[in-house]
Amino acid sequence: MKPEFTSTLRKQRGQIIGWGLALAGLGLLLVPFYKSIFNESAQMIELLKSYPEEFTAFFGDFTSMSTPQGFLDIEFFSFTPLLLGIFAALAGSGLIVTDEESGRLDLIASQPLSRVQFFLSRGMAFVITATAICMLGWLGMVIPLGNSGMDITPGQLALPFIPLLAQVLLYGSLALLLSLLLPSRRLAASVTGLVIVADFFVEGFSNIITDLKPFAKFLPSHYYQGGYAMDGLAVVPVLSFLGIAAIFSLLALWRYQRRDIRVGGEGGWGFRLRRKPALSEPAA
Amino acid sequence: MASSTAISIESLHKHYGDVYALRGLDLSVDRGEIFGFLGPNGAGKTTTLRCMLDLIRPSSGEINVLGMNPQHDPVWVRSRTGYLPGELNLDGNLTGAGALRYFNQLRGGTANTERISELAERLEVDLSQPIKNLSHGNKQKIGLIQALMHEPELLMLDEPTTGLDPLIQRELLRILQESRQAGQTVFFSSHIISVVERIATRVGIIRNGRLIEVAETKDLLNRAVRRATILFREPVDSALFEGLPGVRVLSPDSGRTLLLQVMGDMDGLIKRLAEHPVIEIETERPSLEEIFMTYYSTSESEV
Repeated sequence: MKPEFTSTLRKQRGQIIGWGLALAGLGLLLVPFYKSIFNESAQMIELLKSYPEEFTAFFGDFTSMSTPQGFLDIEFFSFTPLLLGIFAALAGSGLIVTDEESGRLDLIASQPLSRVQFFLSRGMAFVITATAICMLGWLGMVIPLGNSGMDITPGQLALPFIPLLAQVLLYGSLALLLSLLLPSRRLAASVTGLVIVADFFVEGFSNIITDLKPFAKFLPSHYYQGGYAMDGLAVVPVLSFLGIAAIFSLLALWRYQRRDIRVGGEGGWGFRLRRKPALSEPAA
Repeated sequence: MASSTAISIESLHKHYGDVYALRGLDLSVDRGEIFGFLGPNGAGKTTTLRCMLDLIRPSSGEINVLGMNPQHDPVWVRSRTGYLPGELNLDGNLTGAGALRYFNQLRGGTANTERISELAERLEVDLSQPIKNLSHGNKQKIGLIQALMHEPELLMLDEPTTGLDPLIQRELLRILQESRQAGQTVFFSSHIISVVERIATRVGIIRNGRLIEVAETKDLLNRAVRRATILFREPVDSALFEGLPGVRVLSPDSGRTLLLQVMGDMDGLIKRLAEHPVIEIETERPSLEEIFMTYYSTSESEV
């Protein structure tokens, strides 16, 4: 299992560096801003009050900008599930199927490695990749924390990354499951992306459209704490996210164990339009 | 004690929805032989190979590879086989050596580096180059080394000569002969008949998912009709050759040149010829390709 795990991790190092450094860079830029936001919080709150309700519905309570929790929630944690959702949809859907669609999986799967071992190796590499990205994001915030005027510890700062990671794993496992059910990786990534965007917008709009509230209860974003996890982590939603991710992963494993390894479009759904025979074709 | 059968397939069916890839394939390959699996594209060669490695699951039928059902213990089967896929795709970012190291690690490091170097030298491939910079033929060589490096009991090669130049093809066939001499079994598919003819001890011909012929290569070649042209010192009555088993006279006139069609062995004909002063005998043996085409045209109506 180890060679496959390390090989997958090596292939995903670009994702770790790209997404991780982007998050870290955002943290490095944002945290030093807190001091000036805090000093001018009264004017900022007045300004933000003039923003449309629809805007604040998505990014939280702007009046809490003067607290580190509120500031980081609005400026970072409110949209990072959407941002890292893109990573989760792409990496999750491509975890196995990218190699399958490129024809590489045929040779890899012919090696003495069971499908369970292969699946777990890749799954573990995905978990490590997502964790590393979140850790880099956390590190980007921790480095300037000393001079930021935020009265929080690095440990507290790590707490919002836990529900963020859980949500990424949830989306990633959904993408993985869909990639093994749907005929192509692209379709699996698109459907997952649609779910992520719908989750974000339905939850956001449910703050102003009350009719959406009953639906929002079924969405991950409804239970996402964001920056306020620094005040105390809600463990139940995190465990629920991880539990559902585990169920999706087990279903994906079940499916992977039973399906054919495809080459050249074998086993696709085959939505083929019946075409007229060409003139050169012999009659049936 | 290990069975003498390397591959045993009974009534293998595989279909994808309403597309039938295999329709009751029966096949048996002995240990230590080179078996050529012959058929055009889409006949079911690759599907058969992939079923044997549990990459795809048969719709019905029984497979035994080295005495084990690949669906029951695929890891056991794969650890004893070396596989070259028909459509080889490797991680382009790795070097040849890196790719082989990765596959060797997946195999628990069972290949020795000396064997890898020897194969690379014989197949003339530079393992230090990134795979994305290699030509199709050189990528194929990496795939072949990957299949051969751990000296497996059974080699399953899908179109192994694809992309190789004639000299390297010859070297590969030599390597496969050596593998056979070392006790390995070689099962390879090809639609290039000359390759099969050169090394296969037995040949299986597949058409539309069914095996339509299995025979020793030499038997298949001998069984076929040959043309013989005999030049005598003096005119000979052609009627003397009529009635010989498997012989048909094509030039009924008496003369110095006799044109015959011979099926099967030529023993009776040669004994009869020995009674006359012969200057020259010329026989035209059909290639496996001609025989193959015969099977394809004659079985058309049956399939």
